[in-house]
Amino acid sequence: MGKIIGIDLGTTNSASAVMEGGSPKIIHSSEGRNTTPSVVDPISHIVGDVAKRQLVLKPKQTIFSVKRLMGRKFKDASVQGDIKWIPYTVKSSRDEMAVVEVEGRTFTPQEISARILQKIKSDAESYLGGKVTQAVITVPAYFDDSQRQATKQAGEIAGLEVLRIINEPTAAALAYGLDKKNAHAIAVYDLGGGTFDISILELGEGVYEVKSTNGDTHLGGDDFDQLIVDYLAEEFKKENGVDLKKDPQALQRLREAGEKAKIELSSSTEAQINQPFITQGKDGPLHLTMTLTRAKLEQIVDVLIQKTIKPVEQALKDAKVKVSDIDEIVLVGGMTRMPKIVEAVTKFFGKEPNKSVNPDEVVAIGAAIQGGVLGGEVKDVLLLDVTPLTLGIETLGGVSTPLIARNTTIPTSKSQVFSTAADNQTQVEINVLQGERPMTADNKSLGRFALDGIPPSPRGVPQVEVTFDIDANGILNVKAQDKATGKEQSIKITGSTGLTKEEVEKMTKEAEEHAKEDLEKKEQIEAKNSADSLIFTAEKTLKDAGDKVDSNLKKEVEDKIADLKSVLETGTKEDLESKTKDLSDSLQKVGQAMYSKGQQPTDDKTQQQTDDKKETEDSQSDSNDSKKEKADSGKEEPVEGEVVN
Amino acid sequence: MAKKSSKINEVQTLKKKNEELEGHIKRTLADYQNLEKRVAEERQNLIKSATRGFILKLLPALDTLILAKKHTEDQGLELAIQQLSDILEKEGVKKIETFEKDFDPKYMECVTVAEGEDGKVIEELKTGYTLNENVLRASQVAVGKGGN
Repeated sequence: MGKIIGIDLGTTNSASAVMEGGSPKIIHSSEGRNTTPSVVDPISHIVGDVAKRQLVLKPKQTIFSVKRLMGRKFKDASVQGDIKWIPYTVKSSRDEMAVVEVEGRTFTPQEISARILQKIKSDAESYLGGKVTQAVITVPAYFDDSQRQATKQAGEIAGLEVLRIINEPTAAALAYGLDKKNAHAIAVYDLGGGTFDISILELGEGVYEVKSTNGDTHLGGDDFDQLIVDYLAEEFKKENGVDLKKDPQALQRLREAGEKAKIELSSSTEAQINQPFITQGKDGPLHLTMTLTRAKLEQIVDVLIQKTIKPVEQALKDAKVKVSDIDEIVLVGGMTRMPKIVEAVTKFFGKEPNKSVNPDEVVAIGAAIQGGVLGGEVKDVLLLDVTPLTLGIETLGGVSTPLIARNTTIPTSKSQVFSTAADNQTQVEINVLQGERPMTADNKSLGRFALDGIPPSPRGVPQVEVTFDIDANGILNVKAQDKATGKEQSIKITGSTGLTKEEVEKMTKEAEEHAKEDLEKKEQIEAKNSADSLIFTAEKTLKDAGDKVDSNLKKEVEDKIADLKSVLETGTKEDLESKTKDLSDSLQKVGQAMYSKGQQPTDDKTQQQTDDKKETEDSQSDSNDSKKEKADSGKEEPVEGEVVN
Repeated sequence: MAKKSSKINEVQTLKKKNEELEGHIKRTLADYQNLEKRVAEERQNLIKSATRGFILKLLPALDTLILAKKHTEDQGLELAIQQLSDILEKEGVKKIETFEKDFDPKYMECVTVAEGEDGKVIEELKTGYTLNENVLRASQVAVGKGGN
């Protein structure tokens, strides 16, 4: 069975998406972009970005904004308005419909749109690696039957069976899954490249009904760009007395610079406009250098933003709903990335709008979801859950060591080998933790159990394998097994993903807030652990070396051990680190001295690693931690490094 | 008898369920395998064009140097441009030739028209480049119109 693709056939740009593995994915064009300009040269058979590049050269042959003519009579007021500014020829057909004439040949808007759909179809086929024959296409909510019919025909001409025509605002709401969220009244604010639409939807028994629509068919991102260009040109004129708009090459660069600044100002508060040698002045070349702040930009385009508010009010009035009745607001169209627009919408509705889905893609994604529903795929697909929070266990020093990271798709399992923290430790306690914070105390303990009967041996030698396994229902099984004896213990936790959304949000937020102090705390403990570890190694080395070590050197090492021990509990991280390094340096001399007596020398790095690998235990100072496991040494090097360093 | 028919019913329901599940697994598996293929392919593309975004950001600086050259006759500047161009060329960046060519929207963008032979590039306003045969940035050109 072929895939059903969802297509957003837009006035300025078009996009398409498909359901894959139960989630919608945007199909990139052969040019590698997520949208395709709705521009067609029907004579030379070129479409999209390539056609757009010849717009200036062949204005009568390059058709854009054809959606404005779809299914309309030539005499329609809107068509009559549009032909005043559209550079190509629009005529009336025998049945009085608006058609396009290029080089003496007539093309219906359906045929032109079909070219765009054909390109989308072939891009989708090369993406999916198979034939695509079925599609869901979106149209504006205000499209009448004739316009919808024309859109459907366009699909058929392109060789697509149009399974359904759906409204753009409905698709946007679907993309956000609002049909499952119990939202009854939804406002969709769509500010695209050339048009502005506001729609009020009502959801009843799983079906969306468009209560009202309003908008401005000639208001969009292009108008914003124009105002920015005007402003930049005006400023430049003030300063240099040259009108850049009269120089086509300079104007082109100004446009590009303006658009780039606009996009930049959606994420930063200041943009540098830097166009050297923009034009030739009386006394040589002139440069355009300017700083545009977000505040200034907002001031420039405020008039356009305000223009969108009136249609919104009117749409609410027509739908007979109050602002406070609106449950959800959805933002569509590239322009809604502008922070000022989000702010204006938030202020008007008194609610944060939905904006997490890319506003250029959201309609195509909704169409793909609809396609998935029609194809039975959405219903059939197992909706795999994810673990909302990180799961791990407690290790030496009260550190939370993660095993399964948050947002991992379940079912899944993961195991890691740990070891003991003290000599002759015969029991380890597994404390199963949930949460994002690095310290045990700040996370939630889901349960704990002990594995005993570990044969007495030096610290770091026993290998305890801890396995986390979450099944599809979110039930977590934790098992600990001593590799030497094969002895094991386990616990089953049923509530590992059963947190409410609020709980998850709270824990995630807390983790973000405390990220810095948590990291400091963790680093402090890690510094202590590695100091502790080195003391153990040093003492053992001295003991093993016996008489082979020069007494002066022995004294030096012993002093440094004492020094480090004295600050183990109280020292700052820096203090611990520098004293650890001191000891490590001296200890290396011991190693060198020993090796030089007959064995091959070792480089510093190996020595350092050996130091870190062996664990040390000062049971007095660390007694409260002695039962907790410690990462294993030996072969499991990455694991070990993670905990000890 | 009733017991038997309910058994048959149960078997049929289970059979159907089994079929559904099987279809399901196959589809999921297929999706997964396709994804794997695509990931491998995309990784190849990524390696090829990992530098793409970076080079695109770098090009405006080269544009400026080229523009500067038009206004001064400093040999050092010319050498600097040459050096930078050589580096880019080694990375697979190739200049799109427009001089006296026919306008080709695949590689060029017409920014303005000028008097001259119809459809011929009259002037290159901004150099375009390809990266490993794909258009990195189209050339911006003035194209002739009206003349012969």
